[in-house]
Amino acid sequence: MKFKDKHRFVRSNMKRNKTRVWMTILASTMGCAFLIMLASVGFAIHKTAVDDVMSYRLMNEIEIQSENGPLIEEDVKKLQVIKNVKAVSRKKYVPANELSLGEYTVYADVSSANMPSERKAGLQLEKGRMPKSKNEVIIGHHFAQELRKEMPENFTEGMSEEEAQKKLKKLAYDGDLLNKTLTYHMKVDNPDIKTETQIKTVKVKVVGIKKKPNKEWIIDSSVMITDDLHGEVMPLLSEIDPELKNSDDSYSAVKVYTSSAEDVKAVSEEIKDKGYLTYSVVSELKELNIYFTLFKAGLIFIGGIAVLIASIGIFNTMTMAVTERSQDIGIMKAIGATPRTIKRIFLLESGYIGLWGVGLGTILAYLISYGVNFALPIIVEQFLNEKPPEDFILSYIPWSLTIIAVTICMSVTLLSGWRPAAKATTVDVLKALRRDV
Amino acid sequence: MITVSDLSYAFKIGKKEKENIVPVLHHVDLHVAEGEIVAIVGRSGSGKSTLLNLISGFIKSQTGEIIIDGKQVSGFSESKWAEFRLEHLGFIFQSFQLIPSMTAYENVELPLVLKGVSEKERKEQTIKMLKRVGLEQYQSHYPGELSGGQQQRVSIARALILNPPLILADEPTGSLDSENEKELLNFIKELNEKDGITFLIITHDHEVASIAHRKVEIRDGYLREGSKLHEVQR
Repeated sequence: MKFKDKHRFVRSNMKRNKTRVWMTILASTMGCAFLIMLASVGFAIHKTAVDDVMSYRLMNEIEIQSENGPLIEEDVKKLQVIKNVKAVSRKKYVPANELSLGEYTVYADVSSANMPSERKAGLQLEKGRMPKSKNEVIIGHHFAQELRKEMPENFTEGMSEEEAQKKLKKLAYDGDLLNKTLTYHMKVDNPDIKTETQIKTVKVKVVGIKKKPNKEWIIDSSVMITDDLHGEVMPLLSEIDPELKNSDDSYSAVKVYTSSAEDVKAVSEEIKDKGYLTYSVVSELKELNIYFTLFKAGLIFIGGIAVLIASIGIFNTMTMAVTERSQDIGIMKAIGATPRTIKRIFLLESGYIGLWGVGLGTILAYLISYGVNFALPIIVEQFLNEKPPEDFILSYIPWSLTIIAVTICMSVTLLSGWRPAAKATTVDVLKALRRDV
Repeated sequence: MITVSDLSYAFKIGKKEKENIVPVLHHVDLHVAEGEIVAIVGRSGSGKSTLLNLISGFIKSQTGEIIIDGKQVSGFSESKWAEFRLEHLGFIFQSFQLIPSMTAYENVELPLVLKGVSEKERKEQTIKMLKRVGLEQYQSHYPGELSGGQQQRVSIARALILNPPLILADEPTGSLDSENEKELLNFIKELNEKDGITFLIITHDHEVASIAHRKVEIRDGYLREGSKLHEVQR
């Protein structure tokens, strides 16, 4: 018997008991939608957590530290030769941190960086270029808004946070800082040294502005100076504070960037073998993924119970169908239908019920998911008077979840239809012909 | 066409612990030649239907041997029997055994569907067969909308659609009036004479038995060969 004919046969049989079939499809739809929706909450929380981790770290980034103190150039050389290492970014801490442009001043996080390595590591600029000469610097995206005129005393007192921010904005520099020359004041926070002797100045030119950080709340007002400038600044600072003399050759932060995220694990292992301590987003994600995979599996298991309950409906419908059609089955067997043909017809019927249920359930789940994600922030704002975190979603249905749900639902459906289909093959021809079944 | 040798059969009645064995057939030997019409007659409970069911494969033989169209069928599995019935046997039942949810056309078409014949070919053959039994205009009628005689003609069309060499008929006129009975018997004779189809007919009706070339009687499970009524046309 051809598949097309089986399909036609099954369709006409399903039409005969429309209400019962549709009720069973409805049960499957609800079971499938419940499974997807429940698991989608787990997937959404997992996604939010992963996005959060990824938003301020790069996948191919490995932070390096040593138990023996700060890393030096020799360590960097060892790291650079490791296979699949794309770049080694290293930064030196600079204690002096005040910069000014006319009447505008900012206290910024200043560090020196090896610019070619930064470029290789993927440093992205919004404007300008990488420094080419000693006195050229790169500034963070929010540097300008932090560069302000001196605040009068008790300037923001009695104001709400919003009002204070507005006032501060008025004091901030609102021009373009690219190609502007800043004065870099080298100060040392050492109370033993007189204030007058603490300050030395160097002129620096802004040649690049970094891209805006992915996260809204991150304020990047940092300044990156060249190694050469660092080499010039540190002796000046050492003149002020002799304690800084020996700190000019050690790195405050070293990060290794691999060619791809897949290489992170192997490179981390090799770095560890060389006696360093490593930390990467991959290792953090690994732990996060284990936890959330278990969480999602738990939710899928609970959702699976709903599918199992729906499958009882399919079992019942199919058992009734077999009982009702016993005479037809007997006649078909008498004229030459093999048990295999009979079984396939009934399996196909339960398969169709399952397919409709899964299809409608998946569509319903997607609709509910979109609806929930759309309405939840509005409801939270309306009734709780609070704003949910940005990018927050309560439900997320990736393709993998759809595939898992469809597989589970279809397997359970076919399993529940298996026994009635097997029962159909055992219909006794003689009893059926005598209308005895 | 059919050779039955030393065929015995007993029904097992009751639960396993208190099982009663009721013998129905005793060492039956029967030979039906190709192109022959053989009528098996006997009283109710004599075992004639059991013999037909054994030859049809509806019940599994316990002892003895059945050979149909040169094939040893007594050891066949259920699937093999189904395939064999589809290819070699046609059935005419007393209560027609049409599927009520299918039209006359679909009932006649069913063996072709089971065999996997293409739709175009199916349509051609089914219409041809419905024409042959005079029911072309009733093709879209459901069995419930047809008279007993028309239903039996649909049943015959279904039995003939795959051109089987052998037709097994169980009380074929049992549900028909005398006019339809006469018509059916003439049709059987015509099929036998023109198409050379072999018939094995179970009946207790002398009128039906009268069209047979040979009459075989079963009494209490024992088979007695009757007289040769007509010369077999070969």
